[in-house]
Amino acid sequence: MEKAKVAFFDFASCEGDQLQVINLEEDLLKVVEAVEIVSFREAMKGHSDDYDIAFVEGSVTRRSDEARLKEIRKNAKVLVALGACATLGGVNLLKNFQEAENVRKFVYGDKAFQYETYPARPLKAVVPVDIDIHGCPINRHEFVMVFKSLLLGKKPEIPNYPVCVECKMAESICVFEMGMTCLGPVTRAGCGACCVTEGSYCWGCRGLVDNPNADSQREVLAKYGLGLRDILNKFRLYSGFSEVAQ
Amino acid sequence: MKYQPLADISPYLPQWAEISRIQKLTESERLFEMHLADGEPLGHKPGQFIELSLLGIGEAPISISSPPGVENSFELAVRKVGNLTSAMHRLKVGDRVGIRGPFGTHFPVDETQGKDILFVAGGIGLVPLRSFIKFVLEHRRDYGEVTILFGARNPSEQLFLDELEDWRRRDDLRYLESVDRPDPNWTGHVGVITTLFPYIHVDPSKTYCVVVGPPVMYRFVIVEAKAKGIPDTHIFLSLERRMKCGLGKCGHCQINHLYVCQDGPVFRYSDIFDLEEAL
Amino acid sequence: MALQIIEKSDLAFFVQNLMDHFQLEGVQSKGQSVYGQAFFYGTIRSPAELCLDFDCTVMPPKKYFLPPQEALFRFQTGPSPACFECRPNKPLVIFGIHPYDLKAISQMDRVFAAGTPDPHYLARREATILIGIDPTHVAPRSFWASMEAAVVSSGFDLMMTDLGANYIVETGSEKGKALLGDYAKVRPATSDEVRQRVSQRSHIADMGQKRGLTFPKREIPILLQHSLTSPLWEENATKCLSCGTCNLVCPTCYCFDVWDDMELNLTQGQRLRRWDGCLLSDFARVATGENFRGTRTSRYRHRFYRKGQYLFFGILDDVACVGCGRCAAFCLPDIADPVEVFNRLKEKLN
Repeated sequence: MEKAKVAFFDFASCEGDQLQVINLEEDLLKVVEAVEIVSFREAMKGHSDDYDIAFVEGSVTRRSDEARLKEIRKNAKVLVALGACATLGGVNLLKNFQEAENVRKFVYGDKAFQYETYPARPLKAVVPVDIDIHGCPINRHEFVMVFKSLLLGKKPEIPNYPVCVECKMAESICVFEMGMTCLGPVTRAGCGACCVTEGSYCWGCRGLVDNPNADSQREVLAKYGLGLRDILNKFRLYSGFSEVAQ
Repeated sequence: MKYQPLADISPYLPQWAEISRIQKLTESERLFEMHLADGEPLGHKPGQFIELSLLGIGEAPISISSPPGVENSFELAVRKVGNLTSAMHRLKVGDRVGIRGPFGTHFPVDETQGKDILFVAGGIGLVPLRSFIKFVLEHRRDYGEVTILFGARNPSEQLFLDELEDWRRRDDLRYLESVDRPDPNWTGHVGVITTLFPYIHVDPSKTYCVVVGPPVMYRFVIVEAKAKGIPDTHIFLSLERRMKCGLGKCGHCQINHLYVCQDGPVFRYSDIFDLEEAL
Repeated sequence: MALQIIEKSDLAFFVQNLMDHFQLEGVQSKGQSVYGQAFFYGTIRSPAELCLDFDCTVMPPKKYFLPPQEALFRFQTGPSPACFECRPNKPLVIFGIHPYDLKAISQMDRVFAAGTPDPHYLARREATILIGIDPTHVAPRSFWASMEAAVVSSGFDLMMTDLGANYIVETGSEKGKALLGDYAKVRPATSDEVRQRVSQRSHIADMGQKRGLTFPKREIPILLQHSLTSPLWEENATKCLSCGTCNLVCPTCYCFDVWDDMELNLTQGQRLRRWDGCLLSDFARVATGENFRGTRTSRYRHRFYRKGQYLFFGILDDVACVGCGRCAAFCLPDIADPVEVFNRLKEKLN
């Protein structure tokens, strides 16, 4: 059987999700062996436009990005959004809630006029996306799971339950009991509740579950002392593109 | 090819079945004829289901579409909807699949002997119901009058075309069909399945009504059946739920206190009419 | 076997001995939350780690019999497909289980043995020795006394009660008897100590009465019979986050999902099961997309009916709630508390 051809691309991002792929350690060799990687700028030389599966990291932040993304969509049979910037818009989207001119000046100083920019958006705002691998960064195990599913010709089972489920399975103490607040109850699982397990709280980097009870989550956050502004900021950090953050 | 036999120790372990024939029914449905690799009969009754495994893809409940036969083979009609069923559509004759079961309750094959039967099938509801219809037609003299109502969304979703043609021609049964949305070639009745009821006559004192279809269909059909005077105890339904383990453990298929995988999928309407979650 | 005494100074000897001969699991403090210490079951690596005066653990001991995730079998595909059974049988001793959790384990035993027995659960259970301990503290949301789980007379191999100066131990099985005989320094209890145990236990039951049902537990199924259309379900469910926490922390919740995991070589893999919860939004969704319990209200209500009625009449002849109060303690919108719900239903009915 001919090996599937795979390509990696990036838009506005820290490239940390591709780094997670490179960090697969021994699994990386098996991944490389199972397919033919034709493009992966962060890891290898060479490029080809002949590919079946495109993994795309990053959010779209310039009008000129759109043509390139559409070209990738045209070439790929399956387009996978890789990481929070690609699936949700990610932290890049924070600028959408600020005055554009100020942001440009802050970032580029007196060279601002040289750089093109527009409100950041996830890939799906520009082209149809087949699969979302969420996370900031992505979870390596989930990447491998999606990768295997694609090779098996099956739709990957991305969790539609919240982080609380994995948190309980990991036997962590609830963040709210530790005097902090957490987006875990409405955030899509798949990360193994890694942040909470390591003593932090859920930042919401995997986006919301399909039917989040955002009203109740707001009430809970308020009950634990968060003001309206803080609550909104919590949702906006990663899920700025969804309506709960508006 | 050699296959390792499976030890009969865990109820979660499947046994092997081999595909002997594949027939395309519609664009999205295929019929698989298969037999257990050990040559034994499946031992099912009409209306029961199996859990079908494709290792690495998963497991899903599939209703058995054929009556118990002399050949020890059985048929599954599979609509491509999820991961498992899509993968099944890629299988070839000679491929092996995993089977657990048969599970669940069956249609009232004994209780209806000597009685009239009104079969009501909506869409792929015909798939499980076919096992009972064929059983009755194979033992035609044991049953009274047979009426079959079959409704599909459109003509291209009609299944088992050869058999439908046979039913249209037979004079020992009455077959009425309908589609919701006709195409230019359709000359038959148009409308939802309940619009066929005015055309049938039943003797409520000896008629059983057996209904299988999409969830929305049941309530409307039951109203019609009751209007014909058929008592609740003589109405049978087969209900779909998420049956994962088949053993009444995993909890997914519960309708109130009932486990569809054990107490169903075939229910007597009088047993479930007052259950909030049933229909 | 008559009641035995283990002196407190001899406890470490017993624990050390068990550690040397078994995998010993017990309650440990895992850290401080704003409400106090958080207790968990984990592997005991030194006698000092074992905590016996906890109020309630965050997670129940069900993970030892129904792990969050376990393999049902391994398989290989390709030209010679095959399945290989996975049957766990690692011997364990669990030291320090409160009566309500013992009662929950007894209920789970019945559930997994009913109908087609579940060999995975039963094998783990069979390989495990349970050492119970009567509570010395009551967690703020516990209500085990009104669920008739303050004291248990069976479902353990050994049952200990803290008498202050020492532990008094009841033997519940041959396994327990052997454990005491082989690994502990014991002496028979005096009649005075036996009397002390009785009064200590009635004291415990009193402590547990601080909160509870306003009516007898056996009325719950009938109460639910009349409460199907109560507005309370929707009122509370509006706040439900569908996070499944109430299911996951419950010692009598055992629903599971099954799926296949393949190795990267795409020829070997395993069929796994993991905890699921009826409060999660996709619990009753089928492949065609239809969700048979698609509303928060229907899911929220289902849990109470399953605990209070379905399992009662189906398998247990008892309410499948032991009053640990974990669901109440960990539900963020605070709508999961069975005492609150049942008492309010009762109030509305009267």
